[in-house]
Order: sequence, then structure tokens, then C-alpha cells
Amino acid sequence: MAAPTDNTPNAAAEARRQQRLEELCAALIRAQSAQAEVRYRGHRLEWRGKAYPLRAPHLQLDAQQDDWGSCRGVADAIALRLRHHDPELHRHWLPTPPVARLVFELLEQLRVESLVPAHHPGSRRNLHYRFSAWSNRFLASGQTESHLGLLLFTLSMMSWVQLGGGPIDEGTEHLIESTRMFLLREIGQPFGRIRRCREDQAAFAEQALAIALSVNELVADLQQQLAGNEQDQDALEEVGNGFGLLLDFDGDGDQAGSQAGGASPRNSDGEAAYRIFTGRYDKEWQAARKVRPELLERLRRQLDQRIREQGLNLNGLTKKLRRLLARPHQDGWRFGEEEGRLDGRRLSTLVTSHADRRVFKQPREEWRANAAVTILVDNSGSMRPHMEHIAMLIDLLVQGLERTGARTEVLGFTTGHWNGGQPLKDWQRRGWPANPGRLNERCHLVYKNSDTPWRRARRSLAALLKSDLFREGLDGEALLWAEQRLLAEHVNERILLVISDGCPMDTATRQSNADDILDAHLMAVADRIDRDPRIRLCALGVGLDLSRYYRHNQLLDLEHSPDNRIFDEILALITRAMRG
Amino acid sequence: MTDLLHDHPSRLRPVRELFNLDIDMQVPVFEHRDEHVPDIDPSYCFNPDVTLAILAGFTRNRRVLLQGLHGTGKSTHIEQVAARLNWPCVRVNLDGHISRLDLVGKDTIVLEEGKQITRFQEGIVPWALRRPVALIFDEFDAGRPDVMFVIQRILEQDGKFTLLDQNQVITPNPHFRLFATANTVGLGNITGLYHGTQQINQAQMDRWNIVAKLDYLPREDEIRIIQGKVPRYNDTRGHELISRMVAVAELTRAGFAAGDLSTLMSPRTLIAWAENNEIFNDTALAFRLSFLNKCDEGERPLVAEYYQRCFDQELPEPQALQLTAV
Repeated sequence: MAAPTDNTPNAAAEARRQQRLEELCAALIRAQSAQAEVRYRGHRLEWRGKAYPLRAPHLQLDAQQDDWGSCRGVADAIALRLRHHDPELHRHWLPTPPVARLVFELLEQLRVESLVPAHHPGSRRNLHYRFSAWSNRFLASGQTESHLGLLLFTLSMMSWVQLGGGPIDEGTEHLIESTRMFLLREIGQPFGRIRRCREDQAAFAEQALAIALSVNELVADLQQQLAGNEQDQDALEEVGNGFGLLLDFDGDGDQAGSQAGGASPRNSDGEAAYRIFTGRYDKEWQAARKVRPELLERLRRQLDQRIREQGLNLNGLTKKLRRLLARPHQDGWRFGEEEGRLDGRRLSTLVTSHADRRVFKQPREEWRANAAVTILVDNSGSMRPHMEHIAMLIDLLVQGLERTGARTEVLGFTTGHWNGGQPLKDWQRRGWPANPGRLNERCHLVYKNSDTPWRRARRSLAALLKSDLFREGLDGEALLWAEQRLLAEHVNERILLVISDGCPMDTATRQSNADDILDAHLMAVADRIDRDPRIRLCALGVGLDLSRYYRHNQLLDLEHSPDNRIFDEILALITRAMRG
Repeated sequence: MTDLLHDHPSRLRPVRELFNLDIDMQVPVFEHRDEHVPDIDPSYCFNPDVTLAILAGFTRNRRVLLQGLHGTGKSTHIEQVAARLNWPCVRVNLDGHISRLDLVGKDTIVLEEGKQITRFQEGIVPWALRRPVALIFDEFDAGRPDVMFVIQRILEQDGKFTLLDQNQVITPNPHFRLFATANTVGLGNITGLYHGTQQINQAQMDRWNIVAKLDYLPREDEIRIIQGKVPRYNDTRGHELISRMVAVAELTRAGFAAGDLSTLMSPRTLIAWAENNEIFNDTALAFRLSFLNKCDEGERPLVAEYYQRCFDQELPEPQALQLTAV
């Protein structure tokens, strides 16, 4: 069941674009910083599984206003920080007063940016572009009109120039001139030294700390002077906003313990803490049995018709899947070879015509996938409008995979009732005990199991179109179920592909437990499976970014009928998951 | 052609002098350059550790296996050491088509005085074993299992080699040396980059006395090599250009290590790029022709971004343009 999101086509396209940009930025950061564990999760940057804080004001991007040039600049800036910055050392020097911290962070960021290598002139330009864009925006916001705003802005510009940032335009130069003279009187000495020691973080931190503490004092004096003036108090707050609310240091990713995307723990604790009130009413159905045979026949014809009209290229898909999954296997022999092992059946040839050397056999290599792929479909109510397209995708994927020799399984999950069924009644009868855990009937559907070939599962797959079975969704439990089934397969490669359009949802459970019980469970389960080398987990989000839950995810655009491009996206996703 | 049979290394030369390495070690050197001795490439940069490993192979008759990603110059490294020792060298590429018979030898039918007779034609292994030759097996981990067992026998230092169908036992020449290069450390295709490589039998791996790893060179060395290959860039401007090209290659390697790219730029590709640049006089076009077109279509926007970082120039790439159109 989807969280309330704007599902208009434009919003979906925008979300896809956003996801692509984030992926590209993360990949760039990974390459430039040589740190593989950088990714975006729910639009927030993570490093080694923890939120990565962006504490310098010019690193705060506004998705609505900032362009791709700014994104590039920020990505390069973050990469440089990851490369040239020692968080341990940084923490050692970091001052406590908020303003001092802000200045110290800013100086440190500008320091690492000044270390951009000479052979990366493009990065240098991007950094310059981003800083200019930020300073122009700050100027335009009118925040330099307050004393504090002007002071911090002047300091930013001075430090930027001092650390090799670039020339300031005349208007800005004029604006900050007098504040700069004033500041230089206060911080002149350490400020003069920062350029020389920018390659030595510790030496730099010493100077930066002196600057930060002086500025902190200046600001404190200023605040005291303005204490009675309400207008200036407002201005102070506004400048805080302009600097990206950096005075608030919650979620400090350098220190352990911060979590991306919410308050819930994402480790196995979340999984262990999850409770089920009663599993007595849980069901596992063969999907085809839930649909009348005549109807199933009709649905299948409908699906075939749609696939034919769509002109999807099954052969092309198979070829690409084979390239991705198939590995060489020894399979039988090639006969009539000129060398190899002697072929007993051709001994007579050896006698009758000894010039003929084609009496050998050699092992034959065949490329076949030794893999199992499970497709787990969210059967929540909000998926109904997309099911026709999804059924087409699944049908073709299953066929393509089967042709490469892979085993495939198609599973679905929903709940027995809307808003809790029998378990809810049981709970009420028992007097509403606190924190009961999951309060709905879990309902798992098998559309195709791995022992049934596509030919025999054709009709059953059409049951995907019978969407009146679709209710709510318990994603975490479904993932566990699919994981168990997949682990029972004796293959080299196991891929679990989830297709979903939102977060787990069961109203009864949500209302009677902690708000995020289902979310936390899904995150914990997905996180654990993701770290399990036996399974490659990836997810297709139908109009919703699933990066909060799944490391390898891809937003699908199902507003238009699926075309061959969609398969390329799915294959790219699986490729990423397989590379780990 | 004089046969090598009776040649041998006749004098010792200090390593310091030959390879500019700061250690007291003497290596045996041949007096004459046979036609099997590789040509000296004066621009070649030696990796000190790997050079030492190879020299140990030549001096002390150790079996040396060099491992590294493609294009790091593993075989060339051995050849260039041999070239400076005047040591004859033979390279055999163990692709999947080399069979046991190719290595050992087989009976062939030849015409002699108008009559068909069968004669045993010696394979490369017995030939090399009898001579003071360094035999290099390239792509060692791509060899077929039956081939591997032939090699296993000669991996033993004093391993005598039996030609079964000839009733012959070959005692190796005291100056016969054996080297191999491989993309993996005998673990098979883990990254998905080297299909066709095999897991090497542990007994085989044990028989290699020295396993050395060759990584990509430090950037200045790499720049120097490319300048050496394409002399037109042998000035300050050329250095700047090649430095940026190497920077792109470094990003592709980091991208490959992080799992974002499925291909990477080897020094070989870099040299091709520099050469193509000389032809087309257009760095972006040469880049497209030498590397970008080899990349998966989905990875091209990322490669275009790498290019932008290093050249401060947009690579005209349709998908990248789609992204920039905000």
C-alpha cells in the first residue's frame, strides 16, 4: 500500500530523474573518493551505512532550485572531503558553541575543496560553480542585510578566496569590504596562515579553531547588543536558515548511532523486535485456485493479446539475460574432433582409414544459468491500476529467464482483510494488550513455483490480473518467506526481485503498535538479506523511490505501457545487485 | 639460425646497474642476443617488487606467477627483464584452444621421398625444456584442465618430463625457466570480468614458488610510458594532456572497483587513446573511439561525467544531455 504520494505522471517522471541523478552523483563520489560504501538512501547520502552529514552551507542542495551544475559541484566537494578528511582528527578539534562549529566546518570543507588535483580541472570548475550559485542565492535572499548575515557571508567569501576559490565580482567585493577589514583585525593572524597549512589537517584545524572561536565571540557580542531588538532576533534566525540550519547538529554522522530515514533502528534488532499477535489465520494460497477456471482462461487470453500488441522483444531479452546470468557448464561431448579423447565408437574408422584423424571427442561447453530468480509482487490495493503492465513484465521475464536455464518463482503477498481480520478480533477479545504486534491475517500467494515450467504456469500467472484479492501488505514478512523459499534452491546464484509501490501498510497493526513497526521490520529484513552473500536483493519501485528500504532499487515508469527499454532498466538493476 | 642448445649465461652483472634497484644482487646474463631474446623497450618502467620477483626466478630458478588485472603489463614485464639479461624467451598463450598435444607434441604425417610416413613433432614444452629458455605461459588461469596437468609436471624444479609415446625422458636444461601470468589468483571468475578463467587446482598453485601482484603503475610512470609510446606528447603540454587522460583512466578503475562500471581503462587503452588522438586531433572523439564505445550503454553517462571532471569539457553524449536538461 502506497504512502500518500503524488502519483501524477509528471511526479513519477521527476522522481525517476531525481533517482538517476542521485545514482550518478553517488557513483561519481565513489570513483573520486575511492570509497565504495557511498550511496543515497531515501534522498539522503549515506557513508558506510550511516547518514553522511553535509555541514557546510553551500553543500545543502535544493532539489527545486538547484541545477545539475550545482549537483556536480556538491558531489565533487563531498568526494574531496571523503578523500582528504580524517573524521577522528576533526572531532578532536571541533568546538562546541554552534557558531564556532559552523565556522570550523565551513573552513574544513573549503580546505578539502582547495585540494582538488590539478588534473581534475572539471571538478575545479564545478566547485567554483556551486559556491558561486550558493553565494548568489544567499545574496538574493537579502540575508546579508542583517549584521550577522553579512558577517558570516563575508567570512565565507574571504575564506573561499583565501583557499584558492576564485575572484569575487565587484558588487560583492564592495558589499563585504568594510566587514572584511573589521574581521581581518580580529582574525588576521590565523587567517593569514590557513592557506599554507591546508595540506595538513591538524595544523589547519589549529588555525581554523582560533578563527572559529574569535568569530563566535564576535557573534555573541553582537547578539548581546541586539538583545532587545526583536527585528534583529528574527534576522538572526533567518540567517540560521540561510546557512542550512547548520546550527542544529543533530544527526551527526561522524559519530556512531545516527540513522537515515527515521527513528527506527535498521539492524537485526528491528527484525527481532517484530512480533506477530497470532499466526493462526495466516494463509498460503496457490493463486490459480482463487480464480474460476473460465475467468482465468479469459484473463490469460487478455494478457497474451496485450503482450502481442506491445511488440516486446522476448528474444532480445533472453539474449541479454543469458549474457548476464549464463556461465559455461560442461555438457556432453563434441564428436568428430581432430584431437581430444579417443572416441571408442570410431575405432573402426581408425582401422579403415587411418589418415582420418576425426576420431576424437572433446567435452562440450554450454552456457547455462545456474540461478534461481524469485519475483515477489506487492499485492496491495494500490497496485491494482498497474497490474496489467506488471503481469506483462513478469510473464516475459519468466519466459526469458527460463530460456537461459534459470529457475523462476513468482510470489505475491497481501493481507486477508482490510484493517485487520480475525487476529484483531482475538486481540480485542483478550482485552487490548499493549504492543500486540501484527494484527492482520497474512496472505501469501504462489503464482508460479520454481518446479513448474512457464508453459504449465501460464494460466496461473494470469491470476495476477485478478486484483480483487489485493488488500494491504506486510512486506517484511513476505520478504522472509521469499528468502526461505529461495535459499532452499540448490543453485549458485539467487536473485530476489521485489516489485512494490510503497511502504508496508496494515492499518490495524499501525494503530495499535509503534507507528513504524512495519517499516522498521522491512528495513531490518532487507538490510540483513542485502548483506547475505547468498542472495542478491533488488527492488523495482512502481512510481515510488524505494531507496529507503532496498540498496539496489530502480524506479519504474508504468504510466506508459512497458517497452523494451524497461527491460534494460531491470537488467541494469540486476547487474548492479549482482556486482554487489 | 644457431641452436641455443649449448648456450648459457656466462657472466654475472649487478642488479643495481641493470635495473637501478638499490640492492646487492648479481644476475646471470647471456653474452649474445639470440633471436628469441625480446627487444629492449627503453621507455619501459619497472615495478621494483615485481622486478625482484622475476629476477629471483631467473637467478635462483624459482617458478614465478604474476597476477594482475588486464593491461597492467605482466608479460611485458617479464619480457623486458629477459631482454636486459639477453635471456631467450618464448611466450605461449594458454587460451582454451591450446591442447595437451600442442604442448607435448604429436605424430604427424609427412611426405618423405614421395612416401607418407608418420613422424613425431615435438611440442613447445619439450623443445623449451632442452634449451636455456624462459617459457612464459600467458593467461595461465584460462588453460584447460588437461593442459594444466602437463604443466604441473614441469613446475617441479628438477621435474623430468616423460614423453610417453616416444619412450623418452627429458631432463630440463639447467637454465630453463618457467613463468606465468594470470588475471586472477587461481580463484576463477569472481568479478565477472574474466569469463573463461578457471579455478586453479590447489596442487598447481602450491607449485608456484613466487606469486607477485602487479597493480597499475603510479600516475607519473604511466604518463611517462604513454609519452614514450607516443613521442608527440613529449613536452609540457603533452604531459598535461596525458595527465588528464590518466586521470580519466584512474576514475574508471575506481568506478570498476566500486562496481559502477563493468569495463576499465588499461594502459593499453590509454596508449590507443593517445595514438588515436594523434590521428584525429580531437581528444573527445578519440576517447569515444578508443574507450567509450566499448562501454555498456547504461554506463556511458557516468563515463561522460568522469570525462567532464578531467577535461572540463562536456562529452557529447545523448543520455548525459537528457540528464542535464532540467
